[in-house]
Amino acid sequence: MKSGKKLSLSLNPSLKRLPHDMTAQALVSVALRSGDLYHATAVYEVADSVARVALDTILFEGRRDALTLARWEHTPAVVLQALVRLSDASVRQRVQRNLRTSGQTLAELYRTENSDALMTLIAQHRNTPAIVLESMAHESDSDEVLKAVAGNPSASATVLRILRARFPERFDAAIATHAAASPDLLEAVYETGNDYVRAAVVAHPACRRHLLTQAALSGNPLVLRQLAGNPRITAKLLARLARSRTLAVRRAVAGNAVLTPELVIALAGDESVGVRREIALRGDLPLSVLEKFARDDDHWVRQRAARNPATPVALLRELAGEENAEVRRAVARNPACPAELLEQLAHDDNGWVRAAVAYQPKAGAKLMKILATDHAVDVLSGVAANPRAPQALLRQLAQSGEADVRRGVILNPRASDTVLKSLLKDPYYLHRVLLVGNRTLKDEDKWPLLNDPDASVRFTAMRWFAGKVKAG
Amino acid sequence: MKIMVPVKQVAALDEDFEFRDDELDVDEDFLLYDLNEWDDFSLEEAMLIKEKAPEGTVEVVVVSVGPDRVDESLRKCLAKGADRAIRVWDDAMEGSDSITVGGILAAVAKKESPGMIFAGVQSSDAANGSTGIAVAAALGWPHAAVVAGLEYAPDANTAVARRELEGGTLQEVEVACPAVLTIQLGINKPRYASLRGIKQAAAKPIEEVSLGDLGLTPADVGAGVALSRVRRMYVPPKGRAAMIEGTPAEQAARIIEIIKEFKGE
Repeated sequence: MKSGKKLSLSLNPSLKRLPHDMTAQALVSVALRSGDLYHATAVYEVADSVARVALDTILFEGRRDALTLARWEHTPAVVLQALVRLSDASVRQRVQRNLRTSGQTLAELYRTENSDALMTLIAQHRNTPAIVLESMAHESDSDEVLKAVAGNPSASATVLRILRARFPERFDAAIATHAAASPDLLEAVYETGNDYVRAAVVAHPACRRHLLTQAALSGNPLVLRQLAGNPRITAKLLARLARSRTLAVRRAVAGNAVLTPELVIALAGDESVGVRREIALRGDLPLSVLEKFARDDDHWVRQRAARNPATPVALLRELAGEENAEVRRAVARNPACPAELLEQLAHDDNGWVRAAVAYQPKAGAKLMKILATDHAVDVLSGVAANPRAPQALLRQLAQSGEADVRRGVILNPRASDTVLKSLLKDPYYLHRVLLVGNRTLKDEDKWPLLNDPDASVRFTAMRWFAGKVKAG
Repeated sequence: MKIMVPVKQVAALDEDFEFRDDELDVDEDFLLYDLNEWDDFSLEEAMLIKEKAPEGTVEVVVVSVGPDRVDESLRKCLAKGADRAIRVWDDAMEGSDSITVGGILAAVAKKESPGMIFAGVQSSDAANGSTGIAVAAALGWPHAAVVAGLEYAPDANTAVARRELEGGTLQEVEVACPAVLTIQLGINKPRYASLRGIKQAAAKPIEEVSLGDLGLTPADVGAGVALSRVRRMYVPPKGRAAMIEGTPAEQAARIIEIIKEFKGE
């Protein structure tokens, strides 16, 4: 945030102590006394109508502030709604683009806007209600607006049906990939669509089964690839596609969630590395395949075997001695990696391997102490974020000159109140923002953040307290 | 020994904006002001030299030419550890080009007598890349531009600067001191200001310097003496960009076709 009113950097007297009676009125009073744009923005939602009028004088006093708020990604929907009352086309345009703008505000804007450019912004906004999109689908003749409607994830099956009825085939590509497309609409689109559209239809979860059977007769590799990835196809068809000469089709089969154990074993021996890599990602690999993959020529296949929790310890031990660091790192990240291997990998020459040990939830306090003496930032960040790191280590790492390490401590769910309190004056503003949402810290410790020099911190802190008032 | 760091408060734009009625600039309401990114690096380089030297032997002075709002950026520099901040302004300076601004900064340098001047390579808004070099020219000092690495000890007679050139090459040059160096992004890792630093900076004075203090008159500055002027600012017509229609697979296939076309396959 680069704009907005400046808050005095000396401590504001009204912010010295957490109020005993935390009410919406008390928070609004704080915002009004501070005159801070970001306090006012944060409390607007919990303020009553009278208080909002008073807050409006802070929020909408200058055009510059209104433009800033209309654009800011954190501005609450209720403030954006208030902003559209200003008769400023640039402000309204920014509100229409803002991802936090509510459906109600967008519906209001729809009633008053008439330019195609602004209508397109409403048509593509994900919060625009389906009823508004329906109306646009019925009434608009603008190609841009209609394209935006067809691609909007909030469009309902009805919206898509209206579009197809008005403009047959024009939006078929969008309909075929739209999550709300109904089975009948998909079938209609399949009948007239090109191979790309047909491929999208057969990948769709709502595609009718008989279309899947029909698509199996297609000679188009793209259609067959999408078909091969669909978990609703029959085992028989899957087996047939597994024998395809097209690599992309076999790879899609390898990634299909309903692959039978026989096909898993068959594709594990595929000549293509791409297929084996895909199979190696699966969580349902039998021991024979894991053994084979642990000795595969391709290091990414071995890396995936090393990461698999079902891989036996003996194989993990073998893989931990690998030359390739990616493979050793995967062993260290494996949830089933035994303590003795973690200890071995904690002394690895490669920093990324040691970092994987540092992040391992199974690594104990002894390893944490060893790794806390490391020089690599990634290793220290891992220790800092590890819930098994002792508090004494966290206290030490909270003083690190590296922001990534301190952030690890902030994100550690076991970091104590005392450790976190030492980070409330962290130079990096984002760390202070993160601390506002931390549930270990007490509200009285967070309250002074309302006086922070950074606007985002002040806003987040006031939102935190406003959220508590709202919930209460 | 003193290191002078000229800094600029630059303006950034959001994706939507309006021009002023005279079409010479963007409407002020749409501008977001912040310290020029390059100047973060030049200040940090000065701070690193200061911190390496015995305490109290190196003073870092930041200087900016601009109206009141520039104080915010100067305070940011003070919060990061600069010892003093100087702001030069007179309404007559409005419309000055980068060469004139270089001359004004050189006049400050004559008063301050720094041992080195570290400027940013360029400003992110005007992108002339000329102010630092203009300071050197006005002072008659040696200079090195686009410095990506520096070896310099306070009060040394020479500095070794590694200049970034085309094709990823570096040119190592020895420069006689005092000199003006324009510092490139990435030479160091600029620090964040501590909360303590921010609070202390709020209490520190910003020295306001007028034209008269520098021995200049309104006739020496402003649009009247500028060797270049803005005639018009506008958004050019859109180029040949076209949206690729179809399903994601169709779009990907078309992109592959286009790449092949360009490669002549």
